[in-house]
Amino acid sequence: MGLLSILRKLKSTPDQEVRILLLGLDNGGKTTLLKQLASEDISHITPTQGFNIKSVQSQGFKLNVWDIGGQRKIRPYWRNYFENTDLLIYVIDSADRKRFEETGQELAELLDEEKLSGVPVLIFANKQDLLTAAPASEIAEGLNLHTIRDRVWQIQPCSALTSEGVQDGMNWVCKSVNAKRK
Amino acid sequence: MDGISSEVSSNDAVKIPESILLRDQARLEELERRRNAKESQTVSEEKISYFSAAFSAEKAAIEKLISSCTPNEHLAATTSLEVATNKIQDLQKFLNDSKVFLTKYELRQAQESLQKLQGSIAEKRAEVMPKKKFAFRSRTAGASQQLEVTPASTEEKPKANTGNSVVDSAVSAKQCGFSHAHNEVLIKNSEDIQHGDVLLSHLTNCKVRLYGSPNTLHIKNVKGCQILSGPVSSSVFIDECEDCTLVLACQQLRTHNTTSTQIYLHVTSRAIIEDCHGVSFAPFNWMYPKLEDDFQMSGLDSERNNWSQVDDFNWLATGTPSPNWTVIPESERISCWDAAEPKL
Repeated sequence: MGLLSILRKLKSTPDQEVRILLLGLDNGGKTTLLKQLASEDISHITPTQGFNIKSVQSQGFKLNVWDIGGQRKIRPYWRNYFENTDLLIYVIDSADRKRFEETGQELAELLDEEKLSGVPVLIFANKQDLLTAAPASEIAEGLNLHTIRDRVWQIQPCSALTSEGVQDGMNWVCKSVNAKRK
Repeated sequence: MDGISSEVSSNDAVKIPESILLRDQARLEELERRRNAKESQTVSEEKISYFSAAFSAEKAAIEKLISSCTPNEHLAATTSLEVATNKIQDLQKFLNDSKVFLTKYELRQAQESLQKLQGSIAEKRAEVMPKKKFAFRSRTAGASQQLEVTPASTEEKPKANTGNSVVDSAVSAKQCGFSHAHNEVLIKNSEDIQHGDVLLSHLTNCKVRLYGSPNTLHIKNVKGCQILSGPVSSSVFIDECEDCTLVLACQQLRTHNTTSTQIYLHVTSRAIIEDCHGVSFAPFNWMYPKLEDDFQMSGLDSERNNWSQVDDFNWLATGTPSPNWTVIPESERISCWDAAEPKL
């Protein structure tokens, strides 16, 4: 099969909706990332109460991205959104070293969730535009990402503010969803 | 036959075929060679003179690009501004990569010129393309695949009631800011801050003045302090704060585990509180000579202040106001901070 026909096939398949969960601690930049994906204005973002949803078209997929608030009070509600998730995006504020441990714990708990077992995970090491941002490699080490064996994962440094690295992350998203569907 | 078996048993675990050993040695040599090559290259590149030459050349190119834009040639101007934006991003990256061998002064200088460039781009953009939409497009145009968008549904509120507490890890000392101080007057001038990330932690009975425009501000474990800060371009994050007076301007404010604290606030989007009691708000009213410049640098709209619209994550009932925060009555507001101003 040639490349063109593969592309055509992808395009014509109606079942190309992908459900993506966007999670992480508050102040990590989830909503900014979501708005950036949708090319919307990011200057008036407020702390998320509840959630935001956006559909984004990318590479023949319709990505339904669920951005759930990261405040401690609403984290217990994350689980209400786990079902039928195709991919998890976890956002970390790379400059907030004080909460690396907390964010690591939340991520570990997510990866232990039965409803999310085997779901690919993309970790955005966000806020790389800040001078004190930790490099992605340091975060990967701190979170012991190399011990993840039960799913595919990727860590991507990015700045949701300037959109740097965001596209690279989304390319990985499409790639791994594709691989999973085959 | 016998010879082989005896040899195997005598050396047992350590015997490795010679061909493998040779290959390993070759591999190590190759590694060493590459490392040497890399080192000699990086040494020449890491020279400060190399950095400043490359930086200023690139800076001049961007300046030229920006000044070449005129409102009459709309299309050309759009594309050159796009190119300039991308170039600034690359330059910032270059600066970040070079940070290890630059002195503080040079880093600051470079950061400053980058900010200037960003400012002049914004100015030019406003001049050439008055519509906001275009400005935004140019941000993402650099990406190879443009995402198409269908904004779908909106926001909804869950009924929250439970919570869990998690322990935070130790604080790194690498940031700009103050920690572990008692009964002191602490001042940062705008040269120290320079759009950096400021962290204030473990302070008791201190007076803190942050002149200039931080990129973000984190305040953690402070007690009985008076903290005044110039405009913060993104978010302020407060945790474990008690009996304090804070005077802040920012894009958004997140307040956690805070009690008996007054906040004089300028916030362009929204302030939230979580697990807080006795927090009271009033509008930002600190004045200092370069405040306006700092507002401009931060990108905050000085006209837009939502200080009185506070969301309480422990009080999601609509209609009834949260008991956890109040507005400071006008008669009780502190209006002059200079009286308490330490000498500079």
